[in-house]
Amino acid sequence: MATEKSQQVNTPPSTEGIGIPHVHWYERLNVLNVTFIIFILAVIYSGSALHGSDRDLDYFSNLLRFAGQFIPPDFTVLNQTLVSLLETVQIAVVATFFALFISFIFALGAAQNISPRWLVGITRMLLNAIRTIPSLIWALIAVAVVGANPLAGVIALTFYSVGYLGKFFSEAFESSDIENAKALRSLGADPIQAFQYGLWPHAKPLIWSYSIWMLEYNIRSASIIGYVGAGGIGLQLYTYQEFHQWNKFATVLICILIVVSILDFLGEGIRRKIAKKVSRRPLAD
Amino acid sequence: MVADSLSNGHQSSTPTLVLKDLGCVQNSRWLFKNMSLEVPPGSFIAVLGASGAGKTSFLSTLCGLLKPTEGEVSFHDNETRLFSPIMLRGRIGIIPQGFHLTENTTVLSNVLCGRLNRYSFFQTLFGFPSSSKDEAYRIIHDLGISEYIYRWVAELSGGEKQRVVIARALFQKPDIYLADEPVSQLDVYLTGRVLGILKLETTQHGKTVFCVMHNPDLVDRFADYALSLNRENPDKWQLRKVSK
Repeated sequence: MATEKSQQVNTPPSTEGIGIPHVHWYERLNVLNVTFIIFILAVIYSGSALHGSDRDLDYFSNLLRFAGQFIPPDFTVLNQTLVSLLETVQIAVVATFFALFISFIFALGAAQNISPRWLVGITRMLLNAIRTIPSLIWALIAVAVVGANPLAGVIALTFYSVGYLGKFFSEAFESSDIENAKALRSLGADPIQAFQYGLWPHAKPLIWSYSIWMLEYNIRSASIIGYVGAGGIGLQLYTYQEFHQWNKFATVLICILIVVSILDFLGEGIRRKIAKKVSRRPLAD
Repeated sequence: MVADSLSNGHQSSTPTLVLKDLGCVQNSRWLFKNMSLEVPPGSFIAVLGASGAGKTSFLSTLCGLLKPTEGEVSFHDNETRLFSPIMLRGRIGIIPQGFHLTENTTVLSNVLCGRLNRYSFFQTLFGFPSSSKDEAYRIIHDLGISEYIYRWVAELSGGEKQRVVIARALFQKPDIYLADEPVSQLDVYLTGRVLGILKLETTQHGKTVFCVMHNPDLVDRFADYALSLNRENPDKWQLRKVSK
């Protein structure tokens, strides 16, 4: 019996005369390569942007003269700066919080693997429209509606963040394997349970990562929107710039630099930890 | 083809599965056709066939995930009430070949998901009842993966993931198990253990098990019937009683 079985082993077909197929140059023109070629052509065409004012300026001495006005920083405005900085962070935190909730709902509508096509189209169009408006313009609109105060900053940054977070969150949902949710549905789970236990755990690390990034970004943006009266440290920057008080301006910049660096460091650490946990490989394969 | 009727004299709440002239086409090819069967509770049926013969599609048809091209699948209980596979959702336990586990969550959570159909979403919004957790733990322990209970599934090996899927199906306590190669990544000991547990479900609790298998020795050891699909002749499927 064993001898009979061993005689039944199939011999593989001969590979003699088989060579690797030839690929023509035009077959290599995939989306990635064509996009790269178009980008290089666009760079060449845009070379005129490097054209200066045609005046005989000494750029380097200009820079040195301007930077010299920042030294030494005037720390007498430190207390006032810290108060404004706290208000800036508060604006960013509250705006990010509101944006999280609103974006979550928008993202559900914009995710192709969750919502019907018509809803995806409408939601994406809306998110695109929100994204095309810069944060400074949102701030101008908000100041016109609620006046020059931190609330205007919160409103502006909330709208601005929704445009981005809505897109990122929907991409996080789309990158999740919908088969898990379908498997739970086939076990009898209702749609909300299938989302909560089948889809959300996949999207959650990405969504937290994007949210932390948005918070960092909003703190930087909140420093600028004060230029148009939307609260925060921007108003102080605007005042010092108007009156050419560059020493005081330097103090504010140093404070922003420290706070943003700390937040970047913390955010990066958290995001790296999330990414590490998500991509962890099996213990024994 | 005359309807085949299996018999093993079991009395249980598990419904009898009735296939009537069932046929399925995938990618313009008939996988099986004219299949008429009556499967009473307490049967262990090994589903056999070459690669691409339609074993997975057959299981998908039984649970309603795939609509048959012709014929119908129905279940009827002792009071001769008829149910469609969709109506019995939650009473059919699926062990898919591709696992379909939620990777970024714990082994325990995945197993607990087996009973989502028994709770409303309000009850599971902030987790599962603790009474369920003890029962789930016992099954997880039984399958030898209790040390990974709070690990993410993404961190487990293929064989460990396969045991998580099996634990989820067992925790669900379904009437009918549809297992698609449930022991493909398990060693000899665990293969015997898992198939033994499924066999016990049929003999002690009167459940019905459809199990895609390849190993003839395991078919002889555990199955009551062998259903062979024929890739070349879709209507030449064959059902035979496994002699013990």
